[in-house]
Amino acid sequence: MKTRDQEYRELFMAEALEYYDSMSRHLSELERNPDAVPALNELFRLMHNLKANARAMGFNDLGEVAHHLETLFGLIRDQQRTFSGPLTKVVFAGVDALGNMIRAVGAGQPLPDATALLDNLDRLVRGEEPVLEAEEAPESEEEANKKMELSDLVYIQVKKLDNLLNLVGELVIDRDRIMTLAQELDNPALLATAQHLFRISDDLQYSVMDARLVGVGVLLNKFPRVVRDVASAEHKEVELTLSGQDVQIDRNILQIITDALLHLVRNAVSHGLETTEQRLKAGKPAVGQLTLSALTERDDVLIQVRDDGRGIDTEAVRRKAIDRGLVSASTAATLNEKAVWAFLFEPGFSMAQQVTDISGRGVGLDVVKLALDSLGGQLRVESELGVGTTFTLVLPTSIAVKGALLVEVEERPYAVPLLHTDTVLSLHPGQISVVGGVLVTYFQEQTVPLVPLRLLLYDEGDGPLPLATRDDISGPQQVLVVNYNNRRLGLVVDRFIRQQNIVIKPLSKPLDTIDLFGGVTLLGSGQVCLVLDVPALTRLFLNKRP
Amino acid sequence: MAEIELAATPKTERAKPAELVQLIVFRLGDEDYGIRIEQVKEVTVTPEVARMPKTPPFIKGIANLRGDIIAILDLEERFRLRPAGRPIPERSYTVAVEAADYTLGLMVREVPRPFTLPLSQIEPAPEFVQDAGTRDKYLEGIAKLPEGGIIIVLDMRKLLTPSEVLRLPGKGASS
Repeated sequence: MKTRDQEYRELFMAEALEYYDSMSRHLSELERNPDAVPALNELFRLMHNLKANARAMGFNDLGEVAHHLETLFGLIRDQQRTFSGPLTKVVFAGVDALGNMIRAVGAGQPLPDATALLDNLDRLVRGEEPVLEAEEAPESEEEANKKMELSDLVYIQVKKLDNLLNLVGELVIDRDRIMTLAQELDNPALLATAQHLFRISDDLQYSVMDARLVGVGVLLNKFPRVVRDVASAEHKEVELTLSGQDVQIDRNILQIITDALLHLVRNAVSHGLETTEQRLKAGKPAVGQLTLSALTERDDVLIQVRDDGRGIDTEAVRRKAIDRGLVSASTAATLNEKAVWAFLFEPGFSMAQQVTDISGRGVGLDVVKLALDSLGGQLRVESELGVGTTFTLVLPTSIAVKGALLVEVEERPYAVPLLHTDTVLSLHPGQISVVGGVLVTYFQEQTVPLVPLRLLLYDEGDGPLPLATRDDISGPQQVLVVNYNNRRLGLVVDRFIRQQNIVIKPLSKPLDTIDLFGGVTLLGSGQVCLVLDVPALTRLFLNKRP
Repeated sequence: MAEIELAATPKTERAKPAELVQLIVFRLGDEDYGIRIEQVKEVTVTPEVARMPKTPPFIKGIANLRGDIIAILDLEERFRLRPAGRPIPERSYTVAVEAADYTLGLMVREVPRPFTLPLSQIEPAPEFVQDAGTRDKYLEGIAKLPEGGIIIVLDMRKLLTPSEVLRLPGKGASS
């Protein structure tokens, strides 16, 4: 296994070599046609990116050359210099020098000295004549040979990796099936082969999943600019700290939460952090602190957005929720702060007093919830008035495999992702009461409503569910307590089957519009099993509760 | 010149051997229905169907067809063609048909059979039929057979749009 450093260095090399190839290409074009604006813009961009990457990796000399060239191309672009005469020679020498430096990085050698080149570039930037030496010819011979190297890395479309992952998913399903058959047939040779297949496909699955992992840093590193822009628009001083860029996560998961994270960060700067004036008045340091960090917790990846701003005004949210008719005043009074905060993630719920460009248009935080729901992730909120707020996104490392509890209703299996399950209970009728037509039980000093899953799934029409009565309960009840957005709900099922890792396939059209199901999975027996979507089930229950 | 030639071409072609159409023909209710073979992916004995809550009754559920999870439709129920007292038998067949980007299974009671006929035998559905019920929009036409009898040719691309599939017959678009 390679270390992170090696992996980063390889990535840097692959990108840098690609930049270098494009630079050479665009330079040749520029030489033929000194007014080629696209080539010029591209060169400017490539220099800029190479500079940023090199500096991030600590190759400062390389960054410096790229920086000088970037400046020079900026001047050419602004038509303060023309791509002609001695300037051309220096630029070509500069790009060659970049190539040598990149190769030196790749070979782990010290970077060649570039003082003379930098001096010449400086002179050009200042508008002076460069000092040219006549010793390039033999070196460029050597150059030409070296240019023909292929990168050790292969760029691959995410779509191809997706396809690979789907295939592995199906392989795993068939493997489980063969395993089941082998056990039933009880043939030692078959069983041994099945076990071997089991191990190989396990390794294959983890290899494919590993190939899809990227560092959270690729997303986090985009935020310094975002924070700077929002902070300056809001006239606030913000210091952003990033950590945990090395934490690995599936590339598609990162893609799905990009918007959510953007909203949370903008929200933190715009609503969370106070203006300098307000901060000083409150006895806080003038500069607001914003921390974006990633860490792993068991199999999950946590991404935290923490600010040391004003915190959530729970009472204001409570009032707003009542105003908006989301909850009755009497119910609202009984909710604890976590339950109140959950309203922040209702569609269209905004605490902004004033509509700004950045946030406060009544859209935003519900986007976070939706993105997390689609991944089967969770959102945690911690906040203290006047001290700050932390939003934690709890994400699966990989999309493909999820732990799930299989339950049975009317002789059909259903899978419930473990991320949303709290506990399973076996209740005898004495532990269940009826309150306002809803079955409830007391669990961990909390009233948890119970609903037969069969009723939720098969009740037709849009009307409320029938009123529950004591007569509905006979004998012990198997209850799966699920948790979504800090709301607990007990699903009464016929029986628990087992816990197992499942590979979720999305429902194909036209059935993908039914949000109660997050997808399907095939069990070892070949049986089709629907995967329940706990957020949608919870919403359905809230809409239909009598 | 060119115009004259263009106009002439179809005429000469019409004189050539008639263009043939291959259909997969199955029975719904008491009539024969056909689908162009290029819209059919495969015909198979109906696999185990898992009932899917919150779907209209004509969606029998979902099934695993070679690793693809597809929805299984009962067109007799969809078009209200089910003859009284003749439920779908235990062993039924499924015609897997391809829409633009997904596959659906149509459950039929008897083994579907291939049938070849000249394109010219398929006549556009008469106007009064087109106006009659929900069926009309998916009709490509009606094929009259020389030995008597007709095959109603369905146009799957129109039948299989998601909004059509999920539309509840006799019920408004309630959600």
